[in-house]
Amino acid sequence: MNAIQTDQLTRSFGNLKAVDRLTLEVPRGTVFGFLGPNGSGKTTTIRLLLGLLDADAGSAQVLGFNTRTQADEVRVRCGALLEHHGLYERLSAADNLDYYGRIWHMSKADRENRIRELLERLDLYKRRDEPIGRWSRGMKQKLAVARTLMHHPELIFLDEPTAGLDPVASATLREDLASLVVQEGVTIFLTTHNLAEAEKLCTQVGVINHGQLLAVGSPAGLRARTSAPRLYITGQDITSQVVDSLHSNLLVKKLQQRNGALVIDLNDLARSHEIVAQLVEAGVKIDEVRKERVDLEDVFLQLVEEERGGEE
Amino acid sequence: MIADIFTVASKELREIFTFGDARGRSKFSLLILILIFGIVIPMQNGRDWVESPINIMVWGWMPFLWVSGIVADLFAGERERHTLEALLATRLSDGSILFGKLLAALTYGFTLTWLIMLASLVTINIGFGREGLLFYPLELTLGALVFSILISGLSASIGVLVSLRAGSVRQAQQMMSAGMLVLFLPFMLMQFIPEGWRDAVGNILLNIAPVQAAVGIALVLLIVESILIVIARRLFQRSKLILD
Repeated sequence: MNAIQTDQLTRSFGNLKAVDRLTLEVPRGTVFGFLGPNGSGKTTTIRLLLGLLDADAGSAQVLGFNTRTQADEVRVRCGALLEHHGLYERLSAADNLDYYGRIWHMSKADRENRIRELLERLDLYKRRDEPIGRWSRGMKQKLAVARTLMHHPELIFLDEPTAGLDPVASATLREDLASLVVQEGVTIFLTTHNLAEAEKLCTQVGVINHGQLLAVGSPAGLRARTSAPRLYITGQDITSQVVDSLHSNLLVKKLQQRNGALVIDLNDLARSHEIVAQLVEAGVKIDEVRKERVDLEDVFLQLVEEERGGEE
Repeated sequence: MIADIFTVASKELREIFTFGDARGRSKFSLLILILIFGIVIPMQNGRDWVESPINIMVWGWMPFLWVSGIVADLFAGERERHTLEALLATRLSDGSILFGKLLAALTYGFTLTWLIMLASLVTINIGFGREGLLFYPLELTLGALVFSILISGLSASIGVLVSLRAGSVRQAQQMMSAGMLVLFLPFMLMQFIPEGWRDAVGNILLNIAPVQAAVGIALVLLIVESILIVIARRLFQRSKLILD
């Protein structure tokens, strides 16, 4: 059974379609990354899935429960770290977690054990009695992640968990998330516009823009599906005639020049030696040839660009 | 649901009593209130502060002041600090969040009033109780008990509605202060009406049986509060709050 299943899920605010006929399946036990620029509909999707908002059309099932008619059942089984960490800054870390443990009717002993377990895992246990108002943003985010896991949920929603963190804090939180995923065995629905984060954490990725799902699959699958293999060549004497001659080569799908280097999307990466030979023959002094791995950012930009092209 | 209401209320009370209210007043502000209303004012008023039944007005209205100071923070503050959305994403029902917060406000008003009454009693006995122990009259004790709950509830339910409308804690507090002025306006206007009219009003009040008057006022308060709570319950819904 899927952890999340939506069918033509739609929600508008006035004339704006925040989520537009979203049909999606997220298998249990996966880390699903929901990628999209700001305002693309990621947060609204989470709110719909948690039953915090009603859909205008379509339906959604979360852990087998209908989000419209069984929203309470959904929220009992899920944890959520939404746009803001939502922690009580005047309370200590332990008190914050204890409050949420009580909300989920955990016994005192269970709460104490779970608080210790989570805070030790996140290296926050020694500071458990401090009011968290004085903590760094990264530490608060870690605590907020711990709060979502407090009651052993089957599924957690993380809305841009590393947004606003410095690179070091982001990397630390990503590592913590990766290890928690393994240890807790929980399904994660993660929204982000940080593509490196999605690459590192997610087994499945969906790309959303203007409320519409543009593509879905594994990061590697998306890269393979939406982008050609890429060759990256730096050298001297790369003239406009050389570039023109490459354009006419049928092997070349797309050619760009970036900082004096050639970035060539090929139809067949195995025949890259033919491109190198052509350049050498044309008198180019080659410094470096690299078969570059297309990253998710390129895929994402390409999908968004295609969507724009489709609209026009 | 009852357990959830107590969970929410106990967290709110812990925050209030440990860390103070929305205006940033620390827990020492509670001690200052007890010092002023439990020691200074009783010392100025003497035995009358404990013995005069007319002081039911004081004990009855005091909770309104205390509760109005914190209730805006309980709702608008939670929204302003972005903690409400996380709470709405939990298994708690809308009703248990609303009633938990109302219970916290009510408990705060009731507890503070009785702490001050107790401090007043100790003060008056130390200062003026040479001829034996002084106690509040029974009717004043019962009246204070009933009215401290009812007035705390009134203040809390008005505060909920105000907070749901206000964009920030500050705005909610300003609206509460304005509301308080409206409530006290009839008493303030009394000094501007002709003396003959004032005497007539005084005579009418003196001729009303005090117990019947108190019961009548209590019933009116109960009805008003019930209506306000029903309205608050209709407005306090996840799908509306999440978009604020």
